[in-house]
Amino acid sequence: MVQYCTRCLYPDTKPDLSFNTEGVCSACTAFEARDTVDWEARRQEFLDTVAQYRSTDGGNYDCIVPVSGGKDSTYQVLRLLEVGMNPLCVTATTDALSEIGRRNIENIKRLGVDYIEVTTNPVVRRKINKLALTQIGDISWPEHVAIFTIPIRIAVQLGIRLIVWGENPQNEYGGPAAASGDKTLTRRWLEEFGGLLGLRVSDLLEIEGIERRNLIQYTYPDDDALQRSGVTGIFLGYYFPWDGWTNALIAQANGFEVLPTLVEGSLANYENLDNHQTGIHDYFKFLKFGFGRATDIANNHIRRGRLDREDAVRMVRTQDGKFPSTCLGKPLEETLAEIDMTIEEFHRVCDQFTNKRLFVVDSRGRPVRDAQGNLTLADTSYGRTD
Amino acid sequence: MLKHRIMPTLLFKEVGLVKGIGFDSWRRVGTAMQAVKVYNMRQVDELVFLDIAATPSGARPDFQQIDELADECFMPLTVGGGVRTVEDIRELLWVGADKVAINTAAVADPGLISDGADMFGSQCITLSIDFRRAPDGTAEVVTHCGKQPSGRDPVEWAREAESRGAGEILLGSVERDGTMGGYDIEMIRAVSDAVGIPVIASGGAGSYEHLADAIKEGGADAVAAASIFHFTEMTPREAKRHLGERGIPVRH
Amino acid sequence: MSDVAIIDYGLCNLDSIRRAIEECGGAPLVTNDPGDLDTCDRIVLPGVGSFARAMANLRAAGLDEALVRCVRDDGIPILGICLGMQLLAEHGTEGGDTEGLGLIGGRVERLTPHAKERVPHIGWNDLELAAPSPLFDGIAPGTDFYFVHSHRLVGPEDERLATVDYCGTTVAAAGRDHIMAVQFHPEKSQTSGFHLLRNFLGYRC
Repeated sequence: MVQYCTRCLYPDTKPDLSFNTEGVCSACTAFEARDTVDWEARRQEFLDTVAQYRSTDGGNYDCIVPVSGGKDSTYQVLRLLEVGMNPLCVTATTDALSEIGRRNIENIKRLGVDYIEVTTNPVVRRKINKLALTQIGDISWPEHVAIFTIPIRIAVQLGIRLIVWGENPQNEYGGPAAASGDKTLTRRWLEEFGGLLGLRVSDLLEIEGIERRNLIQYTYPDDDALQRSGVTGIFLGYYFPWDGWTNALIAQANGFEVLPTLVEGSLANYENLDNHQTGIHDYFKFLKFGFGRATDIANNHIRRGRLDREDAVRMVRTQDGKFPSTCLGKPLEETLAEIDMTIEEFHRVCDQFTNKRLFVVDSRGRPVRDAQGNLTLADTSYGRTD
Repeated sequence: MLKHRIMPTLLFKEVGLVKGIGFDSWRRVGTAMQAVKVYNMRQVDELVFLDIAATPSGARPDFQQIDELADECFMPLTVGGGVRTVEDIRELLWVGADKVAINTAAVADPGLISDGADMFGSQCITLSIDFRRAPDGTAEVVTHCGKQPSGRDPVEWAREAESRGAGEILLGSVERDGTMGGYDIEMIRAVSDAVGIPVIASGGAGSYEHLADAIKEGGADAVAAASIFHFTEMTPREAKRHLGERGIPVRH
Repeated sequence: MSDVAIIDYGLCNLDSIRRAIEECGGAPLVTNDPGDLDTCDRIVLPGVGSFARAMANLRAAGLDEALVRCVRDDGIPILGICLGMQLLAEHGTEGGDTEGLGLIGGRVERLTPHAKERVPHIGWNDLELAAPSPLFDGIAPGTDFYFVHSHRLVGPEDERLATVDYCGTTVAAAGRDHIMAVQFHPEKSQTSGFHLLRNFLGYRC
């Protein structure tokens, strides 16, 4: 019933993914389209674009770079410094910042930039994490909102008209064509493609005592304010062929630290290092759609010819969708306790968001778990018919 | 005064929610559970859930899934898709649907409407009518998720359904669905005028004005919409504010 | 916590009302056993469907006698919802003239639409409160509740608790003392409905 891409391992359960008549997914075809791009011209376009926004007297920053401390934001900062820009780095603090995540943030500062970190009210934040987890099965929803709204708010407030984002996830992950070509990030983009899963900030009002004054940092500036400020955003991934793995190599050569072992449920030790809640976030993707972070990473390598599909299938079979009993070494119970949730409640919510059609179930229709709590996909062929 | 209802519609296909255009080019948009929960948080008037793959594949409704979704739904829920027998209706009501929408099976056997209404009451039976217009403008009822012409006229079919005991009509334009280009006002008016049971307009809403038109010009009692609520900043709450400003009674 | 017996007479889904009672802090017990009625704090009689069939099912299970005994003689509070409200009345006309439980006065007849009105009455409609009642404590007049029905109760004015402007003036809530009934569905009426259910759960004679 589930159709898999013939090239990579994406299933057709993935939202916003489409397949062509040869069974190749839109993420793969978007990647192929890179061959037709004149990257030299794009590079020049980038230089021309940033030149327009460069401060003439050094009295203000040339641009804002939203950073998390990860491989991609480290790479973005390096790119901008290399072309002589003076960026203001802006971080929206993650929900459960890890120690290595903090060290990597400090590393960005040492690259030679001014830096602002905005931390939303942690008491309110935890309520929103829990609400988002129970209502839409995404604990990281507030983070997805804040990493967009905070840099934009700062841009408007400080009169910095250019925001340089990283990759356009719609491009790498194959979203609807119109979005793939997008260079800039508008409010509409955010609502439709920013991974908000239909939940809006305004939905939180009056729930669990959350008031408007608690949601200031999550509030996108209104269209008028945005227009008057002239703030625009660009995706670096439009101008330079994006590769997370290469970004990691470059970042590591500049002080970025990786884990000694693979991140749980993943095939990488160089990304998603900063937030202990990411394990839960990625797990729910698996419950809903039948694929997790390991699949994303394997696919990135497959597309770039670094991994062959057969090997990828074997790797993903063993690593993908593991029950997140720890994340970056921190036990699940501790992470749950921080958002005031018991492990029993967690299991209940997992169950609600599990797409029973994708997993092996018992005679009562309940997903079967192994001793570690892992589910098993009903179809592990990944589209192979042999 | 009875309020006009704004009903978000969830279209479910095989493994997840979808959005289409003209009942075609379906695009996956996420899980049903989170959509139900979000709409429940927003306290919408009523929710419609249609499994569009069930009839084409011959499958029965997924009762387990409806059971789970209904548990999260503290507002009225209409469920349709693949409903073929009185047993199907019974089971759906049992797992939590408040109303059951029947479409293809009713066209094949209109007795299903009367049997359902007799057993469970008219208020549980919603007749879902999908129609398509030929180039010359004549409309025809289509079944099997917009694929099969039936040779019937939508207005006449609506009248028959009412006489057989349907409690409500869910009227949908196939070609306008997902286009966000406006409802088929003419047909809504024709059906509303022809029957004395409530009519829900579906297929084509792209703006709050469209919703208002369906009610004011088309005479619809309620409006159902999918695309505008899933993909844009438009919300049922804002829609009601606009409708209220146009003098249309809505719940706040 | 209030033990609430929800009467199951085989006619409709009881999940919504059960969960709603739970959400409102009650301890629901879905039952068709007349014996359970003696040990509960209060009773909910829900219902969707045919009056005649409902009464037949209640009689077959001995629930009709048990309900009358517990409510009229023992004073156990009861909330009738939709068809449940109609069953509490004296007569129903749907499916032939049938006797109801007679716990409140009146007969049940089909809705007759005026002008552009449609039947069934489906959707959110606002109430006009007719007499003070603990059921509507803290609920403002003009609050919308969800209705879905084709018949209505026509009963004595002194038992009228609230009305709705549809098909003329239609009774939306009726009862006296510990016997309460609503035509609309509180379990589907979200915040207002839950408020009403909490009022019922907290009711003390």
